[in-house]
Amino acid sequence: MKSENISVIKIRDVLMVTMPADPEDETVSGLQSQTLEAMAQNEVRGLILDLSRVESLDSYFARTVTETARMVTLMGGETIIAGMRPPVAITATQLGLKLGALRTALNVDAALTMVGETKAGKRWQ
Amino acid sequence: MPICVESDIVSARRAVREAATHAGFGTTDVTRLVTAASELARNIYKYAGTGNMIWREIRSGELHGIEIRFVDSGPGIVDLEAAMVAGYSTTDGLGMGLPGAKRLTDEMEVTTAPGKGTSITVRKWLGASGS
Repeated sequence: MKSENISVIKIRDVLMVTMPADPEDETVSGLQSQTLEAMAQNEVRGLILDLSRVESLDSYFARTVTETARMVTLMGGETIIAGMRPPVAITATQLGLKLGALRTALNVDAALTMVGETKAGKRWQ
Repeated sequence: MPICVESDIVSARRAVREAATHAGFGTTDVTRLVTAASELARNIYKYAGTGNMIWREIRSGELHGIEIRFVDSGPGIVDLEAAMVAGYSTTDGLGMGLPGAKRLTDEMEVTTAPGKGTSITVRKWLGASGS
């Protein structure tokens, strides 16, 4: 059984981080190191965390996502969570996950628009 | 199936996804069951080290659903009442494993005693929670 990896690519001045559909804990924990290393190596203003492939988000995964976003903030960047599927959003809420402090977008396209708006001088929001 | 190593958590999720889909659950309920299984399988791995997940389709009169049991012979849960409250955790979890799994399923039964292991059974019935 082959485990899928996280993909990290730089698009202009943001990092696009795409999570696989059903990652192992080890892959999830790699999110932090891979993202922060890529942040340090590239001059980016922040990252878009693409969760559109993710099939379920449990407390471990959610905690890693919020912690990573907090670390990115400490490094001076911002995070947008993009593309969470409806069943995943419903389940995450019922499970009691608190992702409320994170900036979110319906999809990657909308997240990129948010980033574009920042260029006009505004903060990502 | 045995839960012994970290990657067994993924295997447990896959097995439940397949079983719940086969039982006829819709995507949202499948996601609820998979997420509950992920929490409970991780609890076994984290607290007991090893254990088992057993699942089957169930019937009760007109109702049809799925039952998943998580059994281990680990340290048991010392304060079950506290463990059922969101935010409680004895390690570094978010402490939402048990209460979260309960909210995501229709029924949950926990049998545990300090030093005597833990058995958790969750059930979800088709059409019972309006997916």
